Amino acid sequence: MAARKRKQSPQHEDQREKVRFYPAWCKRCGNCAAFCPQHVIEMDQWGYPHAVRTHDCISCHMCEKLCPDFAVTVGEETPSSVSRRGAAGPSPGTEGSLVSQDHSPERLAKTPHPDEEEHD
Amino acid sequence: MTVPSTQTVVYEWLRHDKKFPHVWCPGCGLGILLGALVRALAASGLTKDQVALVSGIGCAGRLPVYVDVGSIHTTHGRALTFATGIKLSKPELTVVVVMGDGDAMAIGGNHLIHAARRNLDLVAVVVNNRTFGMTGGQFSPTTPMGAKTTTALYGHIEPEFDIAAVCATAGAALVARSTVYHVDRLERLLLQALQKKGFSVVEVMSPCYTNFGRQNLMASHVVMMKQLKEQGIPVERWQKMSEIERRGSFPLGVLVDRDLPGYLDSYREVCKTAAKLRSEGKI
Ligand SMILES: Cc1ncc(C[n+]2csc(CCOP(=O)(O)OP(=O)(O)O)c2C)c(N)n1
Ligand code: SF4
Ligand code: SF4
Ligand code: SF4
Repeated sequence: MAARKRKQSPQHEDQREKVRFYPAWCKRCGNCAAFCPQHVIEMDQWGYPHAVRTHDCISCHMCEKLCPDFAVTVGEETPSSVSRRGAAGPSPGTEGSLVSQDHSPERLAKTPHPDEEEHD
Repeated sequence: MTVPSTQTVVYEWLRHDKKFPHVWCPGCGLGILLGALVRALAASGLTKDQVALVSGIGCAGRLPVYVDVGSIHTTHGRALTFATGIKLSKPELTVVVVMGDGDAMAIGGNHLIHAARRNLDLVAVVVNNRTFGMTGGQFSPTTPMGAKTTTALYGHIEPEFDIAAVCATAGAALVARSTVYHVDRLERLLLQALQKKGFSVVEVMSPCYTNFGRQNLMASHVVMMKQLKEQGIPVERWQKMSEIERRGSFPLGVLVDRDLPGYLDSYREVCKTAAKLRSEGKI
């Protein structure tokens, strides 16, 4: 196999967040690392996955679909998704929140549909 | 088709008042099926109020609990009977039934063949992990001959059932098979089953490392996934293979797709006939 080029594209910095994990739901099964066709994902010494070669990612969404625990999201992280993380209404477990304390607020935050215009 | 992001799917279709991560073991195929089913539901254009999800007992039976639609977790083997009642009283609902192989073929085997024969408009998703997962890995009717299980310590001595073939023979309108590894195909087949009029069966081959793989000296569920990848052959290719080449593998894709008279139509007809006879004072 030809040696993989490790060229750092100018967008590399922006792509760092392209493959994101949600550790609170991850069960360290390793599917995402085992079945990524581009070998983007590796497991760390604690058995948790992390993206090491994000610039090789072809956005095939295989890791996302083969994760049994909804713990991977592939896609550009937009400023609005960052600001929305953890900002889904009242804090979990407090009055007015539909989400109890045990739940994972970031995972349950609504993300804008790509075709939808945002009106904030 | 743009892929709905995991976060969108989770936000829109999973229940916010359920505790996540879900109960299934690390790497269990049921989580992958849950994602595929929810994406297929999203792609079908159905709203959450138009779907009912029914299950029996078992690890697979836990699935509807996580989906934010009208759902019912019924008794072992009887999911299809509850679903029949739901469909007859509310024909406008799309009723999806999720069962394990034990649920569908052992205790519920009779219900499955008769539901297929009756051809009521239901979607049956049968998760075949080749064992009774929830109760500790006893053999099920789909355990392959020779495999070790809690109740077959020296190797299973019975041949296995082919769920798809049984349903096809019993008269289902659509019979399809995928594995959880072939997740895109699984999603497409589930969508097709949702749109099909008549009894549709999707057999989903899924790894159960905890209670099947470990007893059969498979190194991990990743190894089991790789095995499913190799064993599953697209049906177009499968048809051209010789008997010897087919050994140890199974066809994937739509195995049967036919238009048959539906139970609901016949039922409405007979209701009309009865009403007419009554109005004429004949009964
Ligand atoms: C009437 C009845 N008999 C037996 C049981 C015990 N039981 C619970 S789950 C199960 C088998 C589940 O196996 P399967 O349907 O293959 O689902 P899986 O757990 O593998 O997903 C059995 C026998 C029960 N709950 N109810
Ligand atoms: S989207 Fe595809 S290429 Fe990118 S990390 Fe996931 S599996 Fe690998
Ligand atoms: S597939 Fe999902 S649960 Fe498994 S290790 Fe990767 S992120 Fe974690
Ligand atoms: S016992 Fe098997 S089927 Fe049940 S959750 Fe664990 S891996 Fe899945």
